[in-house]
Amino acid sequence: MNKSRVTESFSRSSSKTYSLVELVHRAPTMMVDHGPENTVFSFPIVALIELVLVLGVVMALLWMSLGVNAPLEEIANPNQTTDPAKAPWYFMGLQEMLEHGHPTLMAVVLPSLMVLFVILIPYLDNNPHGAGRWFTNQRGRSLTIKTALYVLVIMPIYIFLDSTFPPRELLRGVLPDLVSQVVIPGIIMSVIVLLPLIVLNRQQPNAREVMLVLFTVLFVSAIVFTVTGFLFRGPGFKLFLPWNMPGGYNPFMNL
Amino acid sequence: MPNWIQTITNSRFWKSFFRHGWPDNPLDRSLVMSSNIFFHLHPVKVSRKSLRATYSFGLGVIALICFGLLSLTGLLLMFYYTPTIERAYTYILTLQTQVPFGQLLRNMHRWAAHLMVIVVVLHLARVFYTGAYKPPREFNWVIGVILLLLTLAASFTGYLLPWDQLAFWAITVGTSVAGYAPGAGPTLRIFLLGGTEVGQEALTRFYALHVMLVPMGILLLTSVHLWRVRKDGGLAANQSDAEDR
Repeated sequence: MNKSRVTESFSRSSSKTYSLVELVHRAPTMMVDHGPENTVFSFPIVALIELVLVLGVVMALLWMSLGVNAPLEEIANPNQTTDPAKAPWYFMGLQEMLEHGHPTLMAVVLPSLMVLFVILIPYLDNNPHGAGRWFTNQRGRSLTIKTALYVLVIMPIYIFLDSTFPPRELLRGVLPDLVSQVVIPGIIMSVIVLLPLIVLNRQQPNAREVMLVLFTVLFVSAIVFTVTGFLFRGPGFKLFLPWNMPGGYNPFMNL
Repeated sequence: MPNWIQTITNSRFWKSFFRHGWPDNPLDRSLVMSSNIFFHLHPVKVSRKSLRATYSFGLGVIALICFGLLSLTGLLLMFYYTPTIERAYTYILTLQTQVPFGQLLRNMHRWAAHLMVIVVVLHLARVFYTGAYKPPREFNWVIGVILLLLTLAASFTGYLLPWDQLAFWAITVGTSVAGYAPGAGPTLRIFLLGGTEVGQEALTRFYALHVMLVPMGILLLTSVHLWRVRKDGGLAANQSDAEDR
């Protein structure tokens, strides 16, 4: 047993009358390895909170449902394409990605890598210290905010430039398709995603800080791509301002 | 307590149902949690910090409430729906115009579905930014990610069912993405749609997935998810609370 942890975890000012007998190393229960805790009985407070949440959610949804009807268009007609034809809003990020490179890279490989990374986060950062605190500490918070701002600036610029001057159209016939559709978009995406990590690497970050930056890049990027695809793509899947769509197209009719 | 209430709560029938006394003392408050199947997914005690609204924003609970509401409204919608391409659309029209509160029912199902997707994504972000995936909660994070994918699957399969232009083209576009997967892509798309195009086979499969397989998966994994939260010592706030002292 680690003697030094005993004195760290249990304060001498404890009013508890029992004494410490044994420390169980790395056991997954909350009482082990910790001093007297600041807890309350779950009943009735948790049950009450949950009841209030149930009432709140039901009321909010009822209110919304009384005011806004779920969309219903004409009966499905395979011979008549809608313009634009959009996936449900939560897949608009994927559909937007399709516009910027080879479909296999953009809609399959990169999203799969993203899901794989998200699943692996706890195994890449397995230091239990700091769990249960927003952003772990002040440095984590500022890293997250800076990274989010970086993505919010760079991604819309990339989307706009890549749609206005699409390399795979301009380079068609000049370079092989593999280069213009896979290699170039792949490099651009990698640079945008990895640049914050390269900057961060000079400050000797710990695993949690690397996770904070990488997750924030991917999470905010996913939001930017989803919002762009959902709100800013109009007829012909071209970029428009949401309030200035041609033909009276309203993106919210797709919900 | 009045006499008649005591007579009831002391009866053998009452005691066969509730295996604890009135929860005004620590023992019975523990027993409420451990002897009730719905409460037993909670820890008996929780830290004050984990109850703070700005810690968890209640997102996991809200997601679960959405799921419950969707199951309820979905069941009612099933009474008025048949997954055939000739009749599905007509049934939706009938539901909206002829059935009392039919439009309201469909609206609630639709908006609750969108809310659930948003809330589950926000829940993932909350758990990440509070570092609540750290040991011993690694595997519960993995279950959570799978639950997010299942939530998307539930919403996506339901999107086809009204069989209107919106549904048809959204699923056509959405499933075409699956076709881009190297190697197995086209096979995967045919497996999903039951053919090369969105038609009756796709509607049948999406319906079965939407009302049976995906909700069952969500129910099962949510149970495991909640049970593990308790087994791992409640919300991660408990941990930092103990560390702070």
